[in-house]
Amino acid sequence: MSGLPLSYAVRNVRARLRRTALTIGVIALAVIATSVFLALITSLKRTLVASGSPDNLIVLRKGSDNDGSSMLSYEAYQVLRYLDGIAAQPDGTPLVSAEKVMQPFARTRAGGRENILLRGVDPIALAVHDEVHIVEGRMFRPSAGEIVVGRGVAGRYADADVGADMFIGKRTWHVVGIFESGGTSFESEIWGDLRDIARDANTFPYSGVRMKLAPGTDRQALIDRIDRDPRYALQATPEVDYYAEQAKSAGTLYILLVILAIPVGVAAGFGAANTMFAAVQSRTVEIGTLRALGFSRGTILRSFVLESLVIALVGFAAGAIGTLFVAFLLRLALGGIAFGAQTFTINVVTLRVSPRDLLAALGFATAIGLVGGLLPAWRAAHLRPVEALRKA
Amino acid sequence: MRFLPLILRNLGRNKLRTGLTGAAIGLAVLLVCFFLTMPAGIDVFLSQIASNVRISVHHKGGLVYQMPFAYVNKIRAVPGVVAADGVVWFGGAYEEAGHVTFPSFAVEPEHVGAVWPDYHIDPAALERFRRFRDGAIVGRQTMEKYGWKIGQEVSLHSTIWPVTLTFRIVGEIPNARSPLFWFQREYLAQAIHEHGWVLSIVGIVWVRIADPALVDGVMNRLDAMFRNSPAETAAETEKSFFASYFGSLQGFVAIILVVTGLVALCVLCIAANTASMAVRERAREIAVLRAIGFGRRLIFGTLVAESMVLATVAGGTGALLTYAFTAAVKLAAGGWSTQLGPLSGFLVSPAIVGQGLLLAVVVGLVSGLAPAYGAAHRPVASVLREVF
Repeated sequence: MSGLPLSYAVRNVRARLRRTALTIGVIALAVIATSVFLALITSLKRTLVASGSPDNLIVLRKGSDNDGSSMLSYEAYQVLRYLDGIAAQPDGTPLVSAEKVMQPFARTRAGGRENILLRGVDPIALAVHDEVHIVEGRMFRPSAGEIVVGRGVAGRYADADVGADMFIGKRTWHVVGIFESGGTSFESEIWGDLRDIARDANTFPYSGVRMKLAPGTDRQALIDRIDRDPRYALQATPEVDYYAEQAKSAGTLYILLVILAIPVGVAAGFGAANTMFAAVQSRTVEIGTLRALGFSRGTILRSFVLESLVIALVGFAAGAIGTLFVAFLLRLALGGIAFGAQTFTINVVTLRVSPRDLLAALGFATAIGLVGGLLPAWRAAHLRPVEALRKA
Repeated sequence: MRFLPLILRNLGRNKLRTGLTGAAIGLAVLLVCFFLTMPAGIDVFLSQIASNVRISVHHKGGLVYQMPFAYVNKIRAVPGVVAADGVVWFGGAYEEAGHVTFPSFAVEPEHVGAVWPDYHIDPAALERFRRFRDGAIVGRQTMEKYGWKIGQEVSLHSTIWPVTLTFRIVGEIPNARSPLFWFQREYLAQAIHEHGWVLSIVGIVWVRIADPALVDGVMNRLDAMFRNSPAETAAETEKSFFASYFGSLQGFVAIILVVTGLVALCVLCIAANTASMAVRERAREIAVLRAIGFGRRLIFGTLVAESMVLATVAGGTGALLTYAFTAAVKLAAGGWSTQLGPLSGFLVSPAIVGQGLLLAVVVGLVSGLAPAYGAAHRPVASVLREVF
C-alpha cells in the first residue's frame, strides 16, 4: 500500500480545529517565553562583553576601578599623548582621547531619577572609539553646550531627543545627535564637550585617557612603561579587559538570568510537548484503524510526525511574531531595561531580538513537535491494531 | 468528602499523565513565587532600612557633586533637626576582592547614635567608635560575607582617594541585610592631608527630625536655605532616596513578571488539556453514572475537585520548594550586588507562598470548569449510543 497523502495530514488539522489551535497557541506561548528570555540574556551580554576595542588602552589613576572614580592631570595627559607606539591620524594627531566622566542626575521619561554617565570628549574620541557612530543629527560643537546621546539614553530619558533641551545635573544641554555602538555600553552614555563637562565637574580636568595603538606595537611594553612612570601614579589596561572586568561585577545578574532561563524553558517546553502528546494520543483509535486498513507503521509515523512538525512550525511562526511584538511593547513601556553599573550609573539594555535567539527558539519548537508527536504515535503504531482499536 | 476516594482513584488512572501535569504546575508555581520575591525584596528593604523621620540632603544635581562641609552645622541649627551626620563616599575595595563589593563611607562618629538610633548599635561599640581614630562599624551582612570579627584589622584601598587605610572593626550594625562600612571622617582627612589635600566637602548629610509631622517643613526650609548658593541641595525622605536609587530595577522586574505570566498561561493550558482528556476518556463511564441516577452537580463537582486537588497539591509543593530554591540561588549568586540591590534578597514570605497557592487553586478551578461542565451536560442517551 502506498503512503498516506499529504492532504490526510492537512485535513486532520482542519477536522480538529479547536484542538490544533490550542496546541499552536501553547507552542507560541512557549516560544515567546523562551525567546524573550534569550533576547534579554544576549542583549545583556552584548552590553557587557562586547564593549571596547581590542587595540585600545585605557589609562586611569592607579587604584581606580572605573573611569568614573579616576582623576588625571593635564601634565599626565600631555606625556601620554607623545608616547611611542600610538596610532595617529593622517595629519599626525595622535589617536589619544582625554575624557572626563561624570555621573549627574537625569530624569527618566517615566519620571524617575537616575545617575547618568556623562562623558566629556574632544572630537578625536570618534576616531579612537571607532565603534561609535552618529546615526541621527550631528556631532556636538565644542564649548556650545551641546551633547550627543546614546541610543539607550534616547529611549529612556526625558527630553533626550535631537533638537530638545535636556536638563542634566546642574544645567541644561542642547541635544544635537544620537549615536550607536552596536548595543555596547557606550549607548547608555551622553557625550559632550570635554571643557564644558570639566567646568561643570569643577575637579580634576580629566578622568582618564583612551589611546589607540599603532599596528605592530608591543602592547605589554607600552603598558609597563605607563605603569612604571614614577611622576604620575597611572595604570594602563587593554580596553577589552577593562570592560570584561566591569562585566564581571554584573555576573550575578547574568548567572541569575541563566539559572532562571532553564526552568522557564523546561516549564514552557514541557507544557507544549504535553499538549501535543495529548493531541496525538487521543488518536490512538485512528492509528489502529489505519493499521487495520494496511498502512505500514513507517507511513503512519511519517504522516503524524509531519503533521506535528507543521503544527510546531506554525506555532513557532506565531510565537516569533508574538516575541517581536512583546519586545516592542517592552521597549516602548520601559525605555530599555536598566541595571546599575559599577560606575553607579545606569546601563540601559536595549532589548533586541536577534536572529540567533529566534533560531534557538525554532530548534526548541521543532524539538517540542518531534517529541510531542513522535512518542505517542510510536506507541500507538506499535500496539497491535486490535488493541489500539479497543482503546475507544 | 465521601467522594474523595473516587477523585483520588481517578487521578491515579493515568499516573504518568497526572505526574507530568503535576510536575508542570509545581514548577510553574515555584517559578512564580521565586520571581515574586524580587519586587517584594524592595519593599522589605525599604521598610526595614528606611525611617520616616530621617531625610537625606544632597546636591540637587547629583550625588557626584559635593557640598561644602560647613552645610552640616547650618543644617543642625535648623529647628526640628535632632541630629545630622555628613558622610563622604570612600569607595573602599577590600584587598581580597579587588573592587568595590560593599558601600563604605567616612562619617562623623559622634552623631551616628543620634541619627541612626533605629540601627540599635551597641552603645559600647559607639563609644569605641568615637575613641579610636581607625575604628570602623560594619554591617552584619559584610561581616558575615568575609568572616570578620570585632577587633579584627582590615585594609581597604580607596577607588576615589589616593589612599589605602587600615581599620580596626570596633562594632557592628546588627542587621543581616546591612552591607555598610563606616569609619571616622577625621581618619580620611588626615590621610589625604599627607597628599596636600584638605577634606572640606561632604557628599550626603543624613538628618534626623524630631517628629514625622515636621519632615516636610524641614525639607522645604533646608532647600530654601541653600537656594542660589553654589551648591543647591535637594532634601528627600530616606524612603524616597532609596526608592529612586532602586527605581531603575523596575524594568528588569517588569520583564521577569511578563515571562512569569507567560509561563503561568502555558501551565493553565496544560492543566486544561489534561482535564479535558480525562473527561473525554471517561465519557462512557460518566454517562453510565448519570444513567443510574447521579446528579449533574455531583458529576460536575467531582470533576472540578479532581483538577483542583491535583493543582493544589502540586502547586503547594512547588510553593514550599521555593524556600529551598531561593536558598540555592542565594548560594550561587551570593551577597550584596550593585546590579540587583535589594532584589537579591530573595526573601520568601508567607504572603508569597500564599499567592503561589492561590495561583495553583485558580489554575485548578479554571482548567477544570469547562470540561466538567461539558461532561455534566452532555445528553446521556446520545453519549451511550455513540460509544456502544
